[in-house]
Amino acid sequence: MASLNSDWLIEAKSLTKNYGPHVALDNVDIQLPRGSIGLLGPNGAGKSTLIKTLLGLIQITSGEGKVLGHDIRTEGDAIRSKIGYMAEYDTLNPDLNAVDQVRYSGELLGMSPVVANQRTHEVMEYVGLRDQRYRKIGTFSTGMQQSAKLACAIIHDPELLIVDEPSNGLDQEHRGFMLDTLFNIVRGGGRSILMSSHLMDDVQIVCDRVIMIHKGRVVVHRRIEDLARQIDREIEISVWGGASKMEQQLKDSGLTVRRLGRIMRVLREDESTVDTILSCASKVSVQIRQMEEYEPSLEDLFLLIMDKLGYGTRSASELLNSIPESQVIGDGSIGGASI
Amino acid sequence: MTEQPSENSSEIRPPIDGEMNSLGVTRMEAAFGSGDGDENAFAAVSQGQTEVGTIFNQVYRPWRGKLGPRWTRNYAIYRHHVYGIITSKGHRYYHPFIRLAVLFILISSMSTLGFLILGSLIGEPEIMRPFGLNRNNIYSKILGFFPRNALWWPLLTALVIGGMISEDRAHGTSAIYFSRPINRLDYAVMKYLSVASILGGVILLTYVSYYSLAIVVEGHGWAYLFDSFPLFVSGLGISILLIITYTSIGMALSAISKGKFFPAVGFLSIILGTKLVAFLIDSLFDRSIVYILSPYDNLAHIGQLVMGINPGYDHPVAFSAVSLLAMNVISLYIISVRVNSLEVTRE
Repeated sequence: MASLNSDWLIEAKSLTKNYGPHVALDNVDIQLPRGSIGLLGPNGAGKSTLIKTLLGLIQITSGEGKVLGHDIRTEGDAIRSKIGYMAEYDTLNPDLNAVDQVRYSGELLGMSPVVANQRTHEVMEYVGLRDQRYRKIGTFSTGMQQSAKLACAIIHDPELLIVDEPSNGLDQEHRGFMLDTLFNIVRGGGRSILMSSHLMDDVQIVCDRVIMIHKGRVVVHRRIEDLARQIDREIEISVWGGASKMEQQLKDSGLTVRRLGRIMRVLREDESTVDTILSCASKVSVQIRQMEEYEPSLEDLFLLIMDKLGYGTRSASELLNSIPESQVIGDGSIGGASI
Repeated sequence: MTEQPSENSSEIRPPIDGEMNSLGVTRMEAAFGSGDGDENAFAAVSQGQTEVGTIFNQVYRPWRGKLGPRWTRNYAIYRHHVYGIITSKGHRYYHPFIRLAVLFILISSMSTLGFLILGSLIGEPEIMRPFGLNRNNIYSKILGFFPRNALWWPLLTALVIGGMISEDRAHGTSAIYFSRPINRLDYAVMKYLSVASILGGVILLTYVSYYSLAIVVEGHGWAYLFDSFPLFVSGLGISILLIITYTSIGMALSAISKGKFFPAVGFLSIILGTKLVAFLIDSLFDRSIVYILSPYDNLAHIGQLVMGINPGYDHPVAFSAVSLLAMNVISLYIISVRVNSLEVTRE
C-alpha cells in the first residue's frame, strides 16, 4: 500500500464496506494522528463497522487502510496485538475471579502465565481494583466491571486503546474515575485512544479531536478546539426583572438575542457588544446578575452539526438513540462556517 | 476560647462533670466563653481526621515485554479449558459437581481393573472371563452399551461440552478472544481439542490402563504383547473415533445455544433417544437400518468390524460409516457457521 503513509495512527483512503446492498462505510477518507479521538454518530451510522474494520476483523469491499502502520486487509493479527479493545457490553465471564479473567486475557495475547500474572496486578491497581480483584466478576458492580474490562484491554500496554461507551451505566463517581483513568492513559502513558460515546461530555473530557460519522460517511473530522472556534460566539446574561423589556431593547439596539426565561444569549459581534448590553440594561432598569462569554460544549457543536444535516433534536442522547429515516447528508456548516 | 491542636489533647482534657460542678463552671460556659473573657477558657474539640494508609496514586506503568507467537495464544485457550477440570482456580470454572462427576466416571470406568486384580489374585477363571484380555472385552471397554455408552461417556461429554462455546455467546466473552490476535479457526480448534482431551483423558486412560494391567496380571509375555498389539491399536482407533464423534456433536450443540443446559440435555437426547427409537423400530419391524440414525450404533457397527467380532446389525457397515461421516461433517459445519457468527461489537 504505497499510497498510505505509516506515520499516522489510523489512515484510510476510499474505505468502503458493503453488506449486500447496504453501505456501512462509504468512501471513508481519514488520517488520524496519535492522541485521543472521539468517535461520534447516531446508531447505525457505521461506528461499529469502522471499529471492526480497524481491528482487522472484517474484509473491506474496497479502498485501503492502515492502523499503526499495518494493513487492515492483511495484518489483522498484528493490529490486534497492538490494540486494546474495551467493548460496550459485558465481555467478562461472571464465574471467574477478576484477576484470573484479566490474566487470561493477557495470555490470549501471547503473554506467558507468569508475565501475565505480574502485569495483571499492575493494571488492576491502575484501574482501582485492589482487594476486589480476587472476587468473582459476577459479584461486581457495573463500575467495577467496567474497570475490569479496561484492565483486560490495557494489560499489554497497547499503543491504541479503542473504548466503546466506557462510562455506560456508571454513577457520577465511577464515571469521573473512569474518565480520569482514560485521560491518564493518554496524558501520562502517551497512548492513543479512540473513544466511542453517546455522552458528549465524556468525549470532551478525554478527547481533543472528534470524528463524526453519518450514514457511513465521515462528516466531521476536526480538533474540538477548532470546531469551537467556528461556532458563533455568544455572551450569556442572566437578568433580574423585566426580561422581556431587556430582550426588546437588545433587539432594538441591533443585537441578535436568544432567550430562555431570564437567561439570554447575545451574539457577540465585536468588542462593543458588552458595552451595548450594559447600556441596554441601564436604559430599561434591569439588573444583570451574571454575564459571561458562553463556551460552546461538544454537545452544542454536535447538535448544530446534526441540525445542518437535517435533524431536529433537543439533545445529543435523543439523537444518538433514534435515527429518523428520512434524513439526508448535507454540506456541513456550523453557524455559517464551513466544516 | 482556645482550640488546641489535637496532638495536645491530653493537656486540654475537659474536666469531667464532677470537676465542672465543683468549679461552678457549666459546660456551656466553657464551650462558648460566656464568662468575663479573662478566664483560661477551653473547648472540647473532636480530633481532626488524619489521612492514614496509602493514598491511591494512579500511575500508568508501561510494559515493554514481547508477546508470544500464535502457538502460545492457542495453548493458553487449551490450558484454560483443560486445567479447569482439574482445578478451577485460575482456569475455566467447572462447577464442583461436574468435576466430581468426571472423577466418579473415571473411577467407575476403571472398576474393571479391580476385578482384574481380584481375579488374578484368587485365580478364579469365572472372574477373569468377562474382564480378561480378548477382542470382545476390549470392544466392550470402549463401545459396550451399558454402562459405558448408556451412562458414562454420554454423561461425561454432556457435562464437559455444556457452555464450552455457548457461554462465550451468552456472556459476550467472544469479544475477549476475537479482539485479540486469535482467529476463529484457532478458537474453534482449541476448544474442540480441549473437549476431546478431557474425553480422551478419561476414555483412553481407562482403556490403556485396562490393557496394560491385563497383560501384567494375566502373566503374558512379550510374544502375547506383540500378538495382541493390533487389537490394542484397533481399540485405540475406535476410541478416537468415539471421542471425535461425541466431541463434534456436543460442540455443535454448544455452538447453537446460549447456556449449559440445552447442549447437555440435547446431547444425551441425541445419543440415547436415537438409540431408543432405533431399538423400538428394529424390535417391532425388524429393520436394523434405522440404527444409522444413532451415532452410538454407527460407532458400534464400525467398531465391531474393526475389532473383528460378529456384527449385531443386519445392514451393511458402509451405511453406518457414511452416516457417521455425515454426522461429523454436519456437526463441524454447524460449529464453523456458529463460531463465525460470534460478535466482537454488538450491533
